[in-house]
Amino acid sequence: MTRFRNALLVLIAGAVAAGLLASAGPAEAQKRGGTLTIVRPTDPVSLDPNLETTAPGAWVYFNMLEGLLTLDAKMQIQPSLATSYEVMSPTRVRFKLRPNVKFHDGTPMNAAAVKFTYDRALKGTPPARWASLAGSLSGAEVVDDLTVDIVTREPYGPVLRTLAMYCMGIVSPTAVGKLGADFSRAPVGTGPFKFVEWKTNTHVIIERFPDYWGDKALLDRVIFKVVPEEGARMIALQTGDADMVLFPSPALLPALRRDPKFTVHETTGIRVVFAGLHAGMAPLDDVRVRQALLHAVDRKAILDNIMEGSAGPAMGVLAPGVFGYKDMQLDRAYPFDRAKAKALLAQAGWTPGSDGIMQKGGQRLSLSWLAARGRYPKDGEITEAIQAMFKDVGVEAKVQVLEWAAVFQQVRGNPFNHHMFTLGWVTSNADADYSLYALFHSKQVPPAGWNTSRYANARVDTLVEQARRSLNQSEREKLYFEVQDILAKEMVWIPVYTTKEIVATKTAVKGFTIHPVEYNLWLGKAWLDK
Amino acid sequence: MLTFLVRRLMLAVPVLLGVVFVVMLTVELIPGDAVALMLGEHATPEAVAKLRDYLGLDKPMLVRYVEYVGRVARGDLGRSIQQNRPVLDELADVWPATLELTVAALLIAAVVGVLAGLVSAVWPTSLFDAVARIGSLFGLSMPVFWTGLVLIVVFAFWLSWLPVGGAGTPAHLVLPAVTLALPSVAMVARMTRSSVLDVLREDYVRTARAKGVAERLVVSKHALRNAAIPILTLLGLQAGQLMGGAVLTETVFAWPGLGRLIVKAIFARDYVLVQGAVLVFAVAFVLINLAVDLAYGVLDPRVSRQG
Repeated sequence: MTRFRNALLVLIAGAVAAGLLASAGPAEAQKRGGTLTIVRPTDPVSLDPNLETTAPGAWVYFNMLEGLLTLDAKMQIQPSLATSYEVMSPTRVRFKLRPNVKFHDGTPMNAAAVKFTYDRALKGTPPARWASLAGSLSGAEVVDDLTVDIVTREPYGPVLRTLAMYCMGIVSPTAVGKLGADFSRAPVGTGPFKFVEWKTNTHVIIERFPDYWGDKALLDRVIFKVVPEEGARMIALQTGDADMVLFPSPALLPALRRDPKFTVHETTGIRVVFAGLHAGMAPLDDVRVRQALLHAVDRKAILDNIMEGSAGPAMGVLAPGVFGYKDMQLDRAYPFDRAKAKALLAQAGWTPGSDGIMQKGGQRLSLSWLAARGRYPKDGEITEAIQAMFKDVGVEAKVQVLEWAAVFQQVRGNPFNHHMFTLGWVTSNADADYSLYALFHSKQVPPAGWNTSRYANARVDTLVEQARRSLNQSEREKLYFEVQDILAKEMVWIPVYTTKEIVATKTAVKGFTIHPVEYNLWLGKAWLDK
Repeated sequence: MLTFLVRRLMLAVPVLLGVVFVVMLTVELIPGDAVALMLGEHATPEAVAKLRDYLGLDKPMLVRYVEYVGRVARGDLGRSIQQNRPVLDELADVWPATLELTVAALLIAAVVGVLAGLVSAVWPTSLFDAVARIGSLFGLSMPVFWTGLVLIVVFAFWLSWLPVGGAGTPAHLVLPAVTLALPSVAMVARMTRSSVLDVLREDYVRTARAKGVAERLVVSKHALRNAAIPILTLLGLQAGQLMGGAVLTETVFAWPGLGRLIVKAIFARDYVLVQGAVLVFAVAFVLINLAVDLAYGVLDPRVSRQG
């Protein structure tokens, strides 16, 4: 108990130090006022996190609703509506709430509101869409007006990062009661901006909340416009119809970077896009064949020629911003080397056949591959590129490209009848548990979880279970490092790239910091120099 | 006349029931599950099961069909699965914009198409005819997303005369309406040209000319009126197509219309919203066809006598 209390103290101290450093930057002559116009591809499903966990809604509500904790751009936990916390038991964390915080409707934010938010999400019918992201979180209990306990069903290591997720915003119970189903289109939280108007498929408008507890927003208003067509979004930026473009066209980024009128904000994201290998299906149940496939892929060529600077290398199965991440040294362990690939295949008993494809016992080395096109940046193109690279080492890949909904149904089903699949995985709560447990624990085979590779290793199972139940963050980190060391030897993925978060703005947009988590589009400090 | 109207409207009922059934069956048959898509990659099987149960998606399709038809009869189109919002509200948001764009495009198609076709027919070997024929070929063959982007680059980016996209003012309407209308203008122009040319060869036109009727009247009263029925039929068909088929134009110009709504709903497998949108679309189609049939009667009294 004392051990993990100490570890948490270290964690808190680290977080506070990081916060101080972050705020110690050079002071700029900030200007107040103006309207920031943002163009982005799609309209939200809803502005209530209970109904919407995807980016189009999150971009907007992240500025209106605040959780107990938040993740800063350096992926460190920072206080938000909570000022401090104390671990009471392995399943209970006590939070002190910030006093004198008001919701946009003037009602006070207090422990009852926190409990209301979590009850509504976790115990409502149906439960919130983020309930599945919340792991063992079971609810909140009121201690006094400004003290609340967050309770988990079992010891849950990622609890703090889970509470810091973008979709954990505390909502006004009064507004939920008053608005009913309409709350979904006009949410009321405590954030620096409050809701003004939503015209479906046209725009959402938010404006400065004058009674915000912290530094008031500098912008008067923000308009989120929908412009589905990539080219039209870029033209809107250039004609001045927009100040900020989300999902800018990668092909136009080099020109924007050179132009002093624009700024391209970019950082490494937390989604890894990969070609998955079905380790439960012959011939991919042979680790040598899987390793050969890794050697057969020129990942740098894919990054340079297909991604054109719009993505970063994938160093492992996790992205660098995620807690517990370890550089798996894939480029050193599995360099692009066709001779090595062929040698490994030969070791596994595969010899070249008359048509150039490897054969063993009359069986050709032919792999069926399921992929969608357009779900992740350039997913179709990278699938085709790898298919061609496989051919150079005598491996045939038969790619079946389907619409995402159909691919989703198959990969989420059991049994899965393809050798390979193209997928992307975002570690939503920025904690390794979220990926290493759901993707590699042997009991997490779909439909229970996302172990689509059907990977099974008893040691990995033990490690991820232990790390999930521990609240000692440094111990957890070590356990995750070991998991990644094992995975590096038994690769069941060909990690292709780590997404980059890219936002293009006019240079007049200041004070904006891009966040590794796509959803955390924070405009509380943004201002316009015009 | 009234009997004709009532009979036609009664006939629309089985058509609409059939449309709803086919849409439901199609969504049922294509792979992909609304709830799984909605809850995303990270949903637990329990969460998916709970929501499926809550939304009543576990019931057999026929049961859902009967329930749906019963609700529609009471004027309730249900709630969108994804947005958890009444489908009527969703449609009410996009319907005005769709109507505005369709009417504008149809007007452009009718006015420009008929005029161009008429001039081409009256002077069939002139330079105008040659230009109009090449132009209509161009209008028919260019994909709308390309035409749309070219118009944006020229009129919004280079000349800064018109906004890049969005809706709200007449200026916002110009580029999407023109883009959407172009293929229809081409079709109407071609149809007008060939119909008017055919009529101009008829004996009664020769007779009219022989009687000394002015050429202007020959063309407008005799030729155009008689050539109007196929043109009207085409415009009726185009109206339906423009209404639901504007998805590319809506995408390029960020126009908040029905086409984008339907496509988004299909990708999300939000069958309640798809059904509602298609139903409204089908009703509009039926009404347009009815209006076209009534117009036949006005143009050609023989039709209403038969009706």
